[in-house]
Amino acid sequence: MSFHELFIEPFTFGFMQRGLCSAALLSLSGGLLGSILVLRRLALMGDALSHSLLPGVALAFLVFGTNTLALFLGALIAGLLTALGSALLSRLTRVKEDAAFGSLFVIFFAAGVALVSLMRARIDLMHFLFGNILGVSPADLRLSAAASALTVIVFLVFRRGILLETFDPIFNRATGGRGGWMHLSLLALIVLNLVAALQAMGIVLALGLFLLPAVTAYLWCDHFGRLLITSVCVALFGTFAGILLSYHAGLASGASIVLCLGAVFFISALASPRYGLLARIRPHEGKGVVRSPE
Amino acid sequence: MRVTVVSSSTHNILRFVDVTVRHGSVVALDHVSAAIACGSLTAVLGPNGAGKSTLLRAILGWHPLASGEIRIGDHHTHHQLPRLAYLPQRHLLDWDFPITVRGVVEQGRYPSLGVFSRFSRHDHACVDRALEELDIADLAARQISQLSGGQQQRVFLARALAQGADIFLLDEPFAGLDIHATEELVHILRSWRAQGRTVLAVIHDLSLAREHFENAVLLKTRLIAAGETASVLSPANLDQAYRGGHCVHAHDPLHGVRTAQFPG
Repeated sequence: MSFHELFIEPFTFGFMQRGLCSAALLSLSGGLLGSILVLRRLALMGDALSHSLLPGVALAFLVFGTNTLALFLGALIAGLLTALGSALLSRLTRVKEDAAFGSLFVIFFAAGVALVSLMRARIDLMHFLFGNILGVSPADLRLSAAASALTVIVFLVFRRGILLETFDPIFNRATGGRGGWMHLSLLALIVLNLVAALQAMGIVLALGLFLLPAVTAYLWCDHFGRLLITSVCVALFGTFAGILLSYHAGLASGASIVLCLGAVFFISALASPRYGLLARIRPHEGKGVVRSPE
Repeated sequence: MRVTVVSSSTHNILRFVDVTVRHGSVVALDHVSAAIACGSLTAVLGPNGAGKSTLLRAILGWHPLASGEIRIGDHHTHHQLPRLAYLPQRHLLDWDFPITVRGVVEQGRYPSLGVFSRFSRHDHACVDRALEELDIADLAARQISQLSGGQQQRVFLARALAQGADIFLLDEPFAGLDIHATEELVHILRSWRAQGRTVLAVIHDLSLAREHFENAVLLKTRLIAAGETASVLSPANLDQAYRGGHCVHAHDPLHGVRTAQFPG
């Protein structure tokens, strides 16, 4: 196969162009948001949160059809209900936060599956869960662009506050920072991007585009800014490779993007010079043991 | 309201007047009145749950006061946040975080920067000065997990300096430090006092307080005593503060005091 057939020809089709653009835009925001989730140890919570959006999306779809704003608001409400509900449950009862979150998200997910099954022929559950990048419409593309632009702007403007709140929320609070607002905005941005990724990746797989680039970058970087940039680059590479893989091998698009990102992650986990497995095997150069300068 | 003067020095920088803090139905601080002199080195002492950390956090305005007020000079504390530096307990941080020593110290400048303003030459100079003063300039490019416990502590003291603070609230700064690092930290705090900086530190080790802190505040929800350390840590006061504790531990402070004060 020539270079042209491999890399150029697939993108002569309009639906492939839209798919690539949409995924690339979501890579920008996903790489940024995922980094914060990984650094704040909220990776699993993000995963649970993405599942809990389903009833909101399904209900909005049932009532308003493919109205983007309705889908976003439905998802946001479902996400907030899960987050606030689990916080309340853990404060007011004996149940701990993680168990509360785990229980609520699975209930929400089940409600979502039940709602989708009500729709019968009109829409397929598989579509909500795993998406189809080849079916990205111009409207979907606009939503991805808006979500991505908003996320990037927020990160540019509030970069210092985000760093403070992620690294040392106590210091942020002691110097007059508003941690609670940032937490809530982060949640809203994640939900917005998940909804935007609904068509391309589906609710379940979209989080792979958030988390995998971030954990990969975490294995390489010792600097917050570089971690964010690396994470975005990994996400971009993964979506490009994944879309090509899906085109040439006829695999589901979301899954092949996540698999490509997974491959990069595993290679990093093995080969990262300071924080990988191989570094641990070499004597005196394991994680954080490098004491002598140079 | 009677105010216990902690130091005979002329100017009191921090004043607690009749301060009460409740966590739900639990009273954490019960009508505490005390004053901290400018440029003093003060140990906050007391048994677990005595409200030591609550006292520090109340200064930052994190707990609504059920009664009384806390003042810095003549001002309410929330107008004075840049002057206050709070050092949380070390184990609360993620040391694997992708950030260098310099990156942490630079954070001290963030609160005074506007959203759109760039890191100026003055900001860089503040960071350099703080790194120099705490003797960690040559570690500036290290990731923070590649430091010893004492060095880690100094990085966060440097961030407080870069912030431009002159009142330092330290929550158990000596926890987990070895003898060498402890001596180092004591040395730093004493030199700060010489420069007119005010330090308020929660401490568990009574002998450490006796040796190096000339002022002390002894709490057990109520204020037991405040003033010069030697008089605050009298046997009667200690008995009052630590009475009812379970003396099963070999290093129990009361146990040590009793054998020292009442031989035989």
